[in-house]
Amino acid sequence: MKSYTQIPPGTQIVIGCAARRRRVLERTICSVFEGWSYEEIIPPIFDYYDVFVKGMGSGPEEQIYRFIDREGNILALRPEFTSLVAKTVATRLANSPKPIRLYYSGEVLRFEKPKGGRQREFAQIGIEHYGGSGKTADVEVLLIAVETFQRLGIQGFQINLGSVDFFGGIVDGMEFPADQITQLKDVLNVKDQSGLEALLEHLPLGDRRKKILRAVPHLTGDKAVIAEARELVKNPRSVDALDHLEEIYSIFERLDLAQHLTIDLGEIRGFDYYSGILFRAYVRDLGFEVASGGRYDGLPAAFGEDLPAVGFSFSVDRLEQIVTPTLEIPDVEAASIDVDDGFDKALQLRRSGKAVKLCL
Amino acid sequence: MLVIALCKGRFLAPSLDLLTEAGICFPEDIASSRKLIFNSEDHSFRAVLVKPADVPTYVEYGAADMGIAGRDVILESRADVLQPLDLKFGYCKIAVAGANGISEGAPPNTSRPTIRVATKYPRITMDYYNSRGIPVEIIPLSGSIELAPLIGLADRIVDLVETGRTLKDNGLEIVEVIAESSARLLINRAGYQTKRDEVLQLIQALEKVIR
Repeated sequence: MKSYTQIPPGTQIVIGCAARRRRVLERTICSVFEGWSYEEIIPPIFDYYDVFVKGMGSGPEEQIYRFIDREGNILALRPEFTSLVAKTVATRLANSPKPIRLYYSGEVLRFEKPKGGRQREFAQIGIEHYGGSGKTADVEVLLIAVETFQRLGIQGFQINLGSVDFFGGIVDGMEFPADQITQLKDVLNVKDQSGLEALLEHLPLGDRRKKILRAVPHLTGDKAVIAEARELVKNPRSVDALDHLEEIYSIFERLDLAQHLTIDLGEIRGFDYYSGILFRAYVRDLGFEVASGGRYDGLPAAFGEDLPAVGFSFSVDRLEQIVTPTLEIPDVEAASIDVDDGFDKALQLRRSGKAVKLCL
Repeated sequence: MLVIALCKGRFLAPSLDLLTEAGICFPEDIASSRKLIFNSEDHSFRAVLVKPADVPTYVEYGAADMGIAGRDVILESRADVLQPLDLKFGYCKIAVAGANGISEGAPPNTSRPTIRVATKYPRITMDYYNSRGIPVEIIPLSGSIELAPLIGLADRIVDLVETGRTLKDNGLEIVEVIAESSARLLINRAGYQTKRDEVLQLIQALEKVIR
């Protein structure tokens, strides 16, 4: 046994004022979710390993903390919520009227390098909307993300909105091996121009396709980006994605919220389960994204119920770093009671709802 | 104001030349001073001087919005950063070298089931040998890597090769090139999105100089 002062890497302990701040932050966010008729779901902290692999896809599965129970089943500590919620919706809630709106708040665990204020155990808070396809549900979750930032008093936030179908439509027609697609994604993912050029030299692609791929990393900005992208792609999947993004953008313009929205078609990262819109939220002067989400229509089907789904999650640990000055943490005023007078006074005050602090 | 992390050492002079040509001038004493933070003349940029291997870390965390570092350093760090530009200086290779040029399939000393490799790049080395299914024992060193095979510390080395002169002088030769390296512009993912106009302006200015 190591010394008790030693803690396992990746854990953290939140105490006193910091814990109060976290709870205020969580309650503020939950009240926004409840205001949009989302109900809380409290899923288990562990489930069968397969559930999460189905959800997260290959790659991130090595970050999952696994263990074996006494019957030999492989279990895992939850590395995220979406798989658990999707499984519950597809099974226990299969016969419930749709749409189903749920929110969650709690810790998840991933074996990864702690960074950006996020340890191996970190807090996530988010929403999931099941049974609504199309723009109404997409806009609903985006508006909830916007309101959450506003309610937390965060000014310089920006939501980057893209679609996996835009890039998907471009790659669909390319018939080369999976490892070359992976290489292509790797260079586009870091916007590496010279790496892309080196790859394009060897890939059997026409000039038009090459032009599209060269443009992809730079397709970020306001509505004009959509028009720019329309000039490049003709395949129906990409074009539908652009139509969809344009509709969402127009709604945000009409609501006078478009200043918070950035169209980002150059972003191609994310869990395998994303299927439509994809978004990430950034706040100026924080080096990491604070929220991410998107559409994952295929996920409930993987658990046996074909349902459209969309949602997002906030990283509570990262939000804490930005809201510290803006979030008001009420101090609890407690009356100091001398115990020599007996406990009557203290009980009396407690019955009337007052806070007390006993003096020793 | 954008913060840019620059490497102390051999990358500093070419990095500063490039930035000057792009219209970003830092005080002349930047290379000789002991200070670590410098503002550009028009105060639109702040340069921080750090060890080369630390540049990706500063950028990944957003402590610096961007940085200039070799691709070797970025690969070894595994930092999740954008790398939009090859700055076309600091060319070299990350290569496996040994006393003779026989293929990796046959370890030079068959009395040992694993080959021993000395390197400053343990992660790159591990990835390279793992992907080829060759068991390897990595010996991390921080300098004079070429010495290791000469006195029996290692069978191979993985190191940066610029001209190949040092290898040759020590009776070593390249077995295989793992990757080509050159100086890269690194950008923090969130900063690229939230400070896009400033960042893109700099990328465009640098692109003009490089071409």
